[in-house]
Amino acid sequence: MDKFKDNESWEIIHIPDKLPFPPHQQPTVNVYAAVIDPKHANTIVRKLNKILPLENLRHVKRVRKQHLDGGSTHLSVILCLAGENDSQLDIIPQEVAELIDFYQLKTSITKVCRYAPLSKEEWVEQCKLWPTSFHPPTYNINGITGFSEEESHSVFTFMKLALNLAKSERQMVNAAVIVDPSTNEVIARACDQVYSCSCPINHEVTKTHDNMLLNSSATEEPKLLYDGVSCLNPWGWSNQKSCDSWHPLRHAAIVAIEDSATRDRNLFPGGRHDLADIDHVQPALTYPSSKKQKTKSMHVNDYEELDPHTNDCDPVSSRPYLCTGYDIYLIWEPCAMCAMALVHQRIKRIFYAFSNLKAGALGSVHRLQGEKSLNHHYAVFKVLLPQESLNRGVKTE
Amino acid sequence: MMVSSNLSRRSFGSSRDFDLINHTVLLIIELLRSFTWRHSSTHSRSSLFFVRCVIVMDRKVISCGRNRTNETRNATRHAEIEAIDVLLDQWKEIKLSQAEVSKMFTNCYLYVTCEPCIMCATALSFLGIKEVYYGCANDKFGGCGSILSLHKSDKTSCEEVGGKSYKCTGGIMAEEAVSLFRNFYELGNPNAPKPHRPIQQP
Ligand SMILES: [Zn+2]
Ligand SMILES: [Zn+2]
Repeated sequence: MDKFKDNESWEIIHIPDKLPFPPHQQPTVNVYAAVIDPKHANTIVRKLNKILPLENLRHVKRVRKQHLDGGSTHLSVILCLAGENDSQLDIIPQEVAELIDFYQLKTSITKVCRYAPLSKEEWVEQCKLWPTSFHPPTYNINGITGFSEEESHSVFTFMKLALNLAKSERQMVNAAVIVDPSTNEVIARACDQVYSCSCPINHEVTKTHDNMLLNSSATEEPKLLYDGVSCLNPWGWSNQKSCDSWHPLRHAAIVAIEDSATRDRNLFPGGRHDLADIDHVQPALTYPSSKKQKTKSMHVNDYEELDPHTNDCDPVSSRPYLCTGYDIYLIWEPCAMCAMALVHQRIKRIFYAFSNLKAGALGSVHRLQGEKSLNHHYAVFKVLLPQESLNRGVKTE
Repeated sequence: MMVSSNLSRRSFGSSRDFDLINHTVLLIIELLRSFTWRHSSTHSRSSLFFVRCVIVMDRKVISCGRNRTNETRNATRHAEIEAIDVLLDQWKEIKLSQAEVSKMFTNCYLYVTCEPCIMCATALSFLGIKEVYYGCANDKFGGCGSILSLHKSDKTSCEEVGGKSYKCTGGIMAEEAVSLFRNFYELGNPNAPKPHRPIQQP
């Protein structure tokens, strides 16, 4: 029953909307600082926090304590922001200037980091300039700042399901599993169907797949053996041997979206907003003139209104709206076609196991989750599969 | 029915090319204006209000498609994808191999009322289409220059995995595209759960 015992060595990493700054190249701002006498420290800091709290630099500590070689300690305090030009004493606010005069402070300009640290590495690097505070991620609903144990457990379970699917084909393929995380129900599961083959599966093949995945987690380089993974090799479809059926664009995510749409139509036939109904009540091609005025200048911004699926889920309707609220599990980072398809279908979160360095659109080549103009944004996570748990986890299923 | 000859002349090299393409463009405009979706008589009126596209080979229209996201509840069924699937079905029916189909796509021109989205622009690159002409730009999802430029796989990483580029020209028949969209816009979007403006229900 403890087949998830090894889950501790799995890891879920959030792939942010924008590339994080390298720890040693974080943007900084100039501030005025001064060395203060420790016996005045409390008073000065209290006064400064009242006069001029560091509103946009909440992560920056007001006081820096330095241990000097002689065993003594040195306290410095941030007075206020400084301009980027070194000699702008005049921008010091009057009340701060009075404080400087009163305690006879000698000011100097120093640099502090502009943004709160996102990782421990960034934090360590920031503190070399001036101490900041770091709040390690805590649980939140989207998982962006961490997952509960129960949620991680589900994530690993569904990723294992996807792994088994990916290995079930003759050739290593990508696999997609769409899940409703509110019920843990699998909505759709699919493999690449760029080349389908009904030839019997050789069990030796599955073993090779295990080894391939192990190697893949080590190097993440698409090798010849991954030719069958559509998102890794999307231009390669024409070189493949024709088998039973094939389709150059039927990548796993696309097939899974189609299956979820079919499920939707089967479970909720008709629906309130059927096109045919509208046709009966709306005389075609005749419009009240008032409506025309509203749209006299057609601009491309209006395209959103034309996208049939722009609006959010109707809370009173039980019918799901596309894949709103659903997660998808993929073995490989999707290509731009699949990643954009998942935007269109309103997926909430994407989990993938391996990066797609040559064609991936969620951080490798493109980063669709950070394209602000898109009308929907999902959260993206990479699930790290540790070697030994990959092996065992897959086989215990 | 305006085709900006300046724009067209800038896009094409020799005058012979220009005449050839210009002729095709005019043909396509007529088609986009007049065709109604063959297979859906019940939807014939609403079919006037979708993004639509045609694929041309050897100056013949060999496929067409319109956005079918509403009735399929599959938001990936864009006009381009529909038109591509029509072609693939035709070619598979006459038992063309993958290599042969790939060769066919290298002779195909796609005309679409609105700039292909990131998904469709990528798909067209995967297929190795020859050229794409579109009407208005799409500054929210456009994949042929507006948001990303997926028609140019000049990224070295793409080339390593056989990435294909295609020529893409926008602003063709913009007037036509705009009026198609305006029609749809004025009707309201019938299938959206929260319509932009109220639609009278019986
Ligand atoms: Zn893909
Ligand atoms: Zn599209």
